Amino acid sequence: MSGAALSFANRRKFSNYAWVGLSASLSVGIAAILLLIVLYVVISGIGAVNWAFLTQVPHPVGVPGGGVGNGILGSTIIIGIATLFALPVGLLTGIYLTLFAPRPLADVLRFAADVLASVPSIAIGLFAYEVLVAPFHHFSALSASFAFSVLMMPLIIRTTESAIRLVPIDMREAAVALGATELQTLFRCILVAARPGIMTGLILAVARVTGETAPLLFTAFGSQFWVVNPNQPMAELSLQIFTYAISPYKIWHDQAWGGALLLILAVLALSLTARLLFRGKTTASL
Amino acid sequence: MFRPIRFLAGSAIALGFALPAFAAPLALTGAGSTFDYPLFSRIFYEYSQKNPSVTVNYQSIGSGGGIEQFSQKTVDFGASDVPMNAKELARAGFPVIQVPVALGGEGIAYHLPHIKKGLKITPDVLAGIFLGTITKWNDPALAKLNPGVKLPKMPITVVHRSDGSGTTYIFTDYLSAVSPQWLAKVGRGKSVSWPAASSVGGKGNEGVAGLVQQTPGAIGYVELAYLLSNDMSYAKLQNKAGQYVYPTLQTVAAAAATKPEISATDFSIVNAASPESYPISGYSWALLPVTPANASHAAALKTLFDWTVTKGQADAASIGYVPLPANVQATAVKDIAGMKE
Repeated sequence: MSGAALSFANRRKFSNYAWVGLSASLSVGIAAILLLIVLYVVISGIGAVNWAFLTQVPHPVGVPGGGVGNGILGSTIIIGIATLFALPVGLLTGIYLTLFAPRPLADVLRFAADVLASVPSIAIGLFAYEVLVAPFHHFSALSASFAFSVLMMPLIIRTTESAIRLVPIDMREAAVALGATELQTLFRCILVAARPGIMTGLILAVARVTGETAPLLFTAFGSQFWVVNPNQPMAELSLQIFTYAISPYKIWHDQAWGGALLLILAVLALSLTARLLFRGKTTASL
Repeated sequence: MFRPIRFLAGSAIALGFALPAFAAPLALTGAGSTFDYPLFSRIFYEYSQKNPSVTVNYQSIGSGGGIEQFSQKTVDFGASDVPMNAKELARAGFPVIQVPVALGGEGIAYHLPHIKKGLKITPDVLAGIFLGTITKWNDPALAKLNPGVKLPKMPITVVHRSDGSGTTYIFTDYLSAVSPQWLAKVGRGKSVSWPAASSVGGKGNEGVAGLVQQTPGAIGYVELAYLLSNDMSYAKLQNKAGQYVYPTLQTVAAAAATKPEISATDFSIVNAASPESYPISGYSWALLPVTPANASHAAALKTLFDWTVTKGQADAASIGYVPLPANVQATAVKDIAGMKE
């Protein structure tokens, strides 16, 4: 009798260990994959990264040296302008749909944002080509920024919404009770408390587009030169990696790895910043 | 305190300060043929060194893409290894000048362990491989041509272009000329339906070269400049006169010499008859608008291509292209003069 109970307990214990062990090893596996990718990129790319690589423009085939300096500049400009487009629209839409929109409209907006978020980026690139490249007869960084901003908007909308929802209703009531107008409540209470969450969303949106290549093929187009005029074709880091990676030249392959390393570092830095900001939210603002 | 307005204004001002720091030269944009890309990237680099007021941004998106973007007027000029045909010209809807800018050959590249360049291949065997009737490297037909070479018992992977490509046009033009079966079943074109069961597509000449290098047992057609710069193994191909020839500057030039007068409607030099000529050779073409949409670019575009088809050709030989024959250069200069400034 007691023997049977013991073996039942043992079986449960064993099964418990087995499942916990399985979950733990799979989780370690996920972390290991990330680690392997990062390690592999670091090992393959570190050799290509030096001062010239960061500051020079690509050289033609057969001329040694060259770098991705114009790609780094191009990425910064294109993503910067995309942020200027996406932030106000995303922020205001997020605020409106959370605080002011009537219920059915809010649902429609939310659904639209979710659908937009899942449209393949290449389709958004083609859309940008059709509305901003083909009619004006030239490729431009602006059209790439437009495509990127369309990719960023739904992310900003949804994170703005959840950040505002996280602000306790008591705080809003307190503001109103102190005689604050609706606008004062919004700008001096709700948005202040929601800021870390909104910034996190913005940074994640930037990180999301940093690795995008597809929408750039027919918008930014690429360039071998220093270009700062957003109305012209422009180099972009991930586009340059793509071009180099499919090339048959060893030196370009090495530079593609170097570029990939820069991208991973940039995205890692952005994600870490987002983490730190969000951690700040729970302690500082409440 | 969150002040989006201040953030936006600050960013805009920062960007405004960054802009005037660079003087902007006149930027010409072109797109198309990957066949031309190594040559163009070299020629245009030289040109910009001599003329710092002009930069030329050429992106190698393939001949098909080049014709498309040129027709949409999103680029100043296009480049294609096969001239635009009547249908494509009609679709573009504006008058076009087509001039040859490069002369090159396509090598048959392969990737076999322990076998260097020089495998002998006949037109029949090549057509058989690309038709999918010859599927193993140790096929008797191949073994018979290469006595003394220990061919592996490896399946053949055919590598072709996935994008619309003039390189594909020249290659299928050649296969159509030598194989009635190919002509009937597949024909010539910038993109065709590849019959071989085991075939993969690569984007651009660079993509095909890359795939062949990474795939043991692979065979593909690649522009000579790509073969040379990557030290790839490629075949000796039997020409119309029965000789086995490598693609070289001399054998491609010999093929071109068999047809001194070329035009945008009569340009094929594949399967040339002379015993020295390499059979998969061809011209690549620049597509120029008679009246550039962007009038301020017209003069620069004209000067650039005048230079490209004459002095620019001096660099061609060092990277695996044959300089354009003198009479072809002269015709091209005359045609370019027809551009309106």
